[in-house]
Amino acid sequence: MAARYGGPFKRAATFHVPLVVMLGLTLFPFYWMFVTSIRPDTELYNVRMNPFFTLHPTIKHFRDLFELTMFSRWLWNTFFIATVSTGVSLLCGLLAGYALARLQFRWAAALGTGIFITYLVPPTLLFIPLGDVVQTFGLADTPWALILTYPTFLIPFCTWLLMGYFKTIPREVEECARIDGASRIQVMVRISFPLAVPGILSAGIFAFTLSWNEFLYALVFLSSPQQKTIPIGVFTELVRGDVFYWGPLMAGALLGSIPVALVYCFFVEHYVTALTGAVKG
Amino acid sequence: MARDERDGQKGMDRRAFLKVAGAATGAGFAGGIPGIVAAQKPPSFPKGTKLHILEWVSFVPPSDQEFKRLAEEFGKLAGVDVTVEFINMNDLNPRIASAIETKAGPDIIMMISNWPHLYADALVDVDDLAEEIAKRDGGYYDLSKAISFVGKSWKAVPYCIVTPTWAYREDWFKEVGATKFPETWDELRKVGTQLKKQGRPLGQAFGHSLGDPNGWAYPVTWGFGGMEVDKNQKVIINSKETVEALKFTVAFWKDALDEGGLAWDDTNNNRAYLAGTISATINGASIYFVAKRQFPDIAKVTNHGHMPKGPAGRFYLTFPQEHAIMKYSKNQQVAKEFIRWFMDRSQYDKWFVINDGYVNGPARYWENHPMWQRDAKLVPFKESPQFARWPGFAGPPDRKASEALVKYIMVDMYAQAIKGMKPEDAAKWAESELKKVYA
Amino acid sequence: MADHRVEPIPAETAAASVVPVRAAVTAAVPRARPLSRLGQLLEQESFLAYALLAPTLVILTVFIAYPFFLGIWLSISDKVVGRPGHFIGLQNFRVNLDDTIFLRAFQNTFIYTFVATFFKLSFGMLAALLLNHHFRWKRIVRASMLLPWIIPTVLSTLAWQWMFDATFSVFNWVLMNAGLISRRILWLGDGTLAMGSLILVNVWRGMPFFAITLLAGLQTVNPDLHEAAEIDGANAWQRFWRVTLPLIKPIMLVVVLFSMIATFADFQLVYVLTRGGPYSSTHIFGTYAYEIAMRAAKLGQGASISLFLFPFLLVVIVLQLWYIRRTSGD
Repeated sequence: MAARYGGPFKRAATFHVPLVVMLGLTLFPFYWMFVTSIRPDTELYNVRMNPFFTLHPTIKHFRDLFELTMFSRWLWNTFFIATVSTGVSLLCGLLAGYALARLQFRWAAALGTGIFITYLVPPTLLFIPLGDVVQTFGLADTPWALILTYPTFLIPFCTWLLMGYFKTIPREVEECARIDGASRIQVMVRISFPLAVPGILSAGIFAFTLSWNEFLYALVFLSSPQQKTIPIGVFTELVRGDVFYWGPLMAGALLGSIPVALVYCFFVEHYVTALTGAVKG
Repeated sequence: MARDERDGQKGMDRRAFLKVAGAATGAGFAGGIPGIVAAQKPPSFPKGTKLHILEWVSFVPPSDQEFKRLAEEFGKLAGVDVTVEFINMNDLNPRIASAIETKAGPDIIMMISNWPHLYADALVDVDDLAEEIAKRDGGYYDLSKAISFVGKSWKAVPYCIVTPTWAYREDWFKEVGATKFPETWDELRKVGTQLKKQGRPLGQAFGHSLGDPNGWAYPVTWGFGGMEVDKNQKVIINSKETVEALKFTVAFWKDALDEGGLAWDDTNNNRAYLAGTISATINGASIYFVAKRQFPDIAKVTNHGHMPKGPAGRFYLTFPQEHAIMKYSKNQQVAKEFIRWFMDRSQYDKWFVINDGYVNGPARYWENHPMWQRDAKLVPFKESPQFARWPGFAGPPDRKASEALVKYIMVDMYAQAIKGMKPEDAAKWAESELKKVYA
Repeated sequence: MADHRVEPIPAETAAASVVPVRAAVTAAVPRARPLSRLGQLLEQESFLAYALLAPTLVILTVFIAYPFFLGIWLSISDKVVGRPGHFIGLQNFRVNLDDTIFLRAFQNTFIYTFVATFFKLSFGMLAALLLNHHFRWKRIVRASMLLPWIIPTVLSTLAWQWMFDATFSVFNWVLMNAGLISRRILWLGDGTLAMGSLILVNVWRGMPFFAITLLAGLQTVNPDLHEAAEIDGANAWQRFWRVTLPLIKPIMLVVVLFSMIATFADFQLVYVLTRGGPYSSTHIFGTYAYEIAMRAAKLGQGASISLFLFPFLLVVIVLQLWYIRRTSGD
């Protein structure tokens, strides 16, 4: 998208200033969370103190987070669950997206729409009957309860994204391969999938983020502290009765977002590129 | 592990345990719990028996640790694998609902308030246990019985009562001439008005949280003579008395209360009090508990006062807690033994003391505990259960009362009046909402 | 041309790589190998399609379709926790329509969704336009912009709760010390203001998703079109409105669709910040259904509240899918 700038002032006014303001508003809460997490308790509960900086930073809250709760365990749990659910959803989304984008079959439209319709069903409706299902399979209080239920809201988006992406791959490429004698499966796996890697990456990042952040199912299906994920663990164990342990809470919130943020940092360009591809579809 | 081996190892502990238990329960009770335990020989449960207990996260953290420790002790004595799980009060319900519906989950679940009525069909009858303890400990309070006795049987064993009283700054109250906590609502309003002028208002929550907001809505209504329903569950909320209560609250709000209260949940008043922005608030002993440990200067000048009297008397809304055994549990016998052992005086005593006044025992025996003498400031807590009533009064605290509670009908009635709705209209609104619930 | 570059469009990349790919394929694929029975089946388009869709369909059927129908059954029954339910027809729904709190929740859900989506779209578009340039910190800036969306909602919402706190609010502190207000603003204590605060947090959290997705859309717009428009004398605003916007409409619609559905069904944000208070003025379907189902143990009633969303969402999604299909000529 071309934009002409009439000079450094205009550029500052129409680009730099808005960008900085936007960044500032978006990131301000994080700065504040950071300050809260290194602030000693006595300052935290003092109404008159400046909330923006502290002269006595402390790492006590971070230490408390690891020592008083099973944070490192939660970190592992969340990571494990997010990775495996992402894997499952990606696999399903990949196969389904290819089928819907490339293959002709009778119920294509209906199934495609059906998959998206499932996205409409709210988790607040589902969680009780789902609890029943989870229990029947003996999965309660295990990571598998989540690994099998998260794909329910991850697959529709992954499918859509990859479907759009597959549509951008020119048919000629596949047709060439078929002419050369490749079977459909070979074409799919050796030609289409590699070309869709950016799409897979971006769907994967999206799925990972959503799994990482999920709350309701994790709250209801998991109960022992060693099984909890970060959102649940931090929320239930650092909000005790009528006391919020703000210091460790904010420390937990920050540490709980860093892994995903790092992933994004590396892959954001791919993510954008891949969405571009899907968009064209 | 052969039983003999286990006895040999635990023998010393067991005998010591029985001795202490025997001494504490007194000679008069034939056999008594230790007698029963002794007669059974050590509770012999098959190896690998598990017991899963679900408790709320206490507002007094050390009591959770003590509970866990006691549970583990029981586990060792009985040869059972005990797990205790703690969940925040507000998050207990979905866990319970899902456990009941899927027929699997904790064996013992702690119930708060009138939940035994709500979940009655899924709970085991515990008449023998409950009555045993009642007889031994001087009888339960009416409140405990109303809450745990559903229909024709005891559905839960009363555990404790959490009572709120007014925590207040003695020093600030003295400055405006109140040497003790006001006895009536009008007096409190006068004192509050002066304090608010000094920038030290009183604090009360009117937001959506199960604890503190209800701690005003119900008792004030009762104090002025209003109530939700009569004993036949006919809705009588829309009365002269209720309107008086509403008018009073609105005036009190303007004159004496911190106006952030509409957004407050159960935690805001604690924080505000400890930060020195309010001078008094209704709360359990958790404020004092935290103050003693983290803000000793505030603890020194904090004292507790009774709910003031209204024209119809003095009333409290308290939070009784009880232990229920779930019907789906495969370990009901173990569960009963645990509750029996825990409620036995020598164990309960330890847990009771660590709570440092935050809880009352469910039965009269605990009123005379030496702990109350230790700190005179805790006396109002000790006395409050006698003034306690339950949601849904004067009807039973049943499922309909729960629905009214959950919809925050009483709290919202006050909140809307504060926001400007005419008291008569607010009462009418509450009436129509309650009628739908009690239909 | 200004100093920015459009990201390479995948289609071009793909097309450009046909030759090497083709070579690879030729190398990788042995010719005329007889297929096994299974292999033959998988050559048929429909069989392959169903085989590929199988895992998805299994998961979605077991974990959504089945519970969903169970949910519908709940909503037409009088089920409470612990007791079996009996069919009662549409009574739950009738009770809802009579319930002032429900009607308030109905209104709130729509306001919450539409206003938040509007702002997310606007700010997201603005952000996308800004990010669609090449500048030195591009990568980091883009990644940082995503942070509100990355952080677990329940935790960021707790942070906002603290920021809005009646006593300790950092906003109040700033405004008071700047002399702009003399009395504390009760961000969560006043019905309308509370609703506004909720929308603010939702926009803060959701805007990055719009920004990144719209950015992708912007990058598919051929810069030549802008050149041409400029030559014809169009200014920046006209170029945006008449060139850019029509081209990114499809992606705009899709992201709005997904976001609206998620916002309608929102739960965490409102639950953590206000639990539906003060005086039930911020209840939305999700939170009210939860309260009724969980705390009053009336599962049937709660399900009926949750389900109210469904017909409306169905209409929305059908309309949008139809529109997308029509405009993309698929």
